[in-house]
Amino acid sequence: MQFLISGIVLGVLYCLMSLGVNFIYGIMKVINWAMGEFFMIGAYVQYLLIVFFLGVRYWYIGVFIAALCTFLLGAFVQKILIKPMFVGIIEEKTEYATIVTIAMAILFRNLAILIGGPYIYTPPDYAPPTHLGPLPLSGNNFIAFIGTIVILAFFFYFLKKTWLGKAFQAVSQNRTGVLTAGIDVLKFDMIAFGIGTALAGAGGALLAPVLLVHPLCGVIPTVRGFEIIVIGGLGSIPGVFIAGLSLGIAESLGAAFINPSFIDIYGFGLLMLILLIKPYGLFGKPERSV
Amino acid sequence: MLKGLGLILLLSIAVILPFFLKDYWVYSLTITLYYVVMAVAWNLLGGYTGQFSLSHHTFAVIGSYTSALLIIKTGIPLWMGMVSSWMFNVLISVLLGILCLRMRGIYLALTTWAFAEIVKTYIRMDFEFTGGDRGLKAPLFFKTMDPVPYYYLFLALAVITIIVIAVIMRSRIGYYLRAIRNDEVAAQAMGVNTVRWKVFAFMAASVIASVAGTFYGHFTGLISPVSGEFYEMALIIIFVVIGGMRSQSGPVVGAVSVRFLAEVLKKWPEVRMVILAALVILIMRFFNGGLMEFLRQGYQRVRQRKGAQPVSAYQETDKTNAMLEKK
Repeated sequence: MQFLISGIVLGVLYCLMSLGVNFIYGIMKVINWAMGEFFMIGAYVQYLLIVFFLGVRYWYIGVFIAALCTFLLGAFVQKILIKPMFVGIIEEKTEYATIVTIAMAILFRNLAILIGGPYIYTPPDYAPPTHLGPLPLSGNNFIAFIGTIVILAFFFYFLKKTWLGKAFQAVSQNRTGVLTAGIDVLKFDMIAFGIGTALAGAGGALLAPVLLVHPLCGVIPTVRGFEIIVIGGLGSIPGVFIAGLSLGIAESLGAAFINPSFIDIYGFGLLMLILLIKPYGLFGKPERSV
Repeated sequence: MLKGLGLILLLSIAVILPFFLKDYWVYSLTITLYYVVMAVAWNLLGGYTGQFSLSHHTFAVIGSYTSALLIIKTGIPLWMGMVSSWMFNVLISVLLGILCLRMRGIYLALTTWAFAEIVKTYIRMDFEFTGGDRGLKAPLFFKTMDPVPYYYLFLALAVITIIVIAVIMRSRIGYYLRAIRNDEVAAQAMGVNTVRWKVFAFMAASVIASVAGTFYGHFTGLISPVSGEFYEMALIIIFVVIGGMRSQSGPVVGAVSVRFLAEVLKKWPEVRMVILAALVILIMRFFNGGLMEFLRQGYQRVRQRKGAQPVSAYQETDKTNAMLEKK
């Protein structure tokens, strides 16, 4: 039972990351490989804010500002780099997007080392240790758990209930179709990229005291995020939750009953199993090829 | 004819080069040749076939670790360890390929990326077996640290790889692979077994990577999980993109020139990566083709200035139109 709860906590945290990637994929059919770097930027912004401007007590304001910063950065990057894909200059879209975002990831990582140095910064704790049911939990994990749930709830409210969210759903279904309904697809792409990166940035800010702040702190959540996407199915939002939870549970159960030092391998084993049984993931549909 | 002469000249320069250079530079050139092999093999997969494997470096790491571990733990001779490690890589790459190449290419990229990180973490964590972050002492191939014999070994390996890839690309398989990149559905409709050839390309590239990896492991004598970092994969992509994707000589030119730049900027590793990453983004954004395409266009411009008319499709049609009118 204890392991189950800790697995659920882990799974919810992983969801935030993969939701951003999947949202961007749903709208633009592009994988953003630099997601972990936006996570890292969010964590750095949060660290700077807490230590120099706000203080630990107002960490939630820091999360908002970090998300805002990554939103602006993501929208800017989309405008100068990803947008040309849809205006008709680039011949092979997947190839272009993959290479450009990988180069971007390398660029951001090394800029972070150049500016902040290869040090690990430790932000102060957000909250004292607490209990969640029978499970003793560190305050930081608890805060991250609650914060993630709040952000996910907001995101869903936005996606399902507001006009803008419905427009996004429409764009992900049929790009040409929504053009006739008077929706500026290119502008929506920019906002969607911004929202995806903002989710990653908020994740980075929330998890800063858990994963600490250093140039490579985005790598582990990104690996999990991509695993979740493959397990749940590309572009499927409900798939993210089921896959995130099952990945978290598989990891904590594996750590408890087999060997805790190989925690990263269980998730990958699950992924291989799913690929074997359902090649398009739990909720993914085979894409229309023409 | 001119091209052949140029190639022979380049090769002979490469052969006599170690006699004029210090050991450090020979060592550095050997590592460059290792990267040439890796980049050329990745170009087969990422460039010609359009399938993105992000675990190319991981296959090299798996190759070097399997070989070294087999030799150390069981005491079999060196060549046997290397060959069995290649076999092992064939197995892994075919399994991975069959699992994720049934779908569109992006699944391969996602899965191999996760695979690369997992393998690296495993090597780090299981330190009692693999040596972990301290690295693993691999037996040397020539029983000496002198880089000159290794230089020739890697030169031969690079030449063989380039020839093999050139032969593949000129054969029927090469056309299959290019067809898959350009339009997978159309290729399938023309009767190309896309899954089989995609798996073949993935396997070929991965096995070449593992061959290079095993030799590299037995050349440096010390293997560590550092060569499994994502940074290595990014370097390979940078070589191919800067040199020019989808050209025979692009990855070679890219690897050599970028490695040279890297040696010059050795003191500032972060600055060097920032410059290279920015260069890749600029090339992809504004000039899809890399150095080789740049050279080719420059060459054409020089010829144009000398008076030789460039042959373009429009002029051909003009000529035929003129001929038709005469009749």
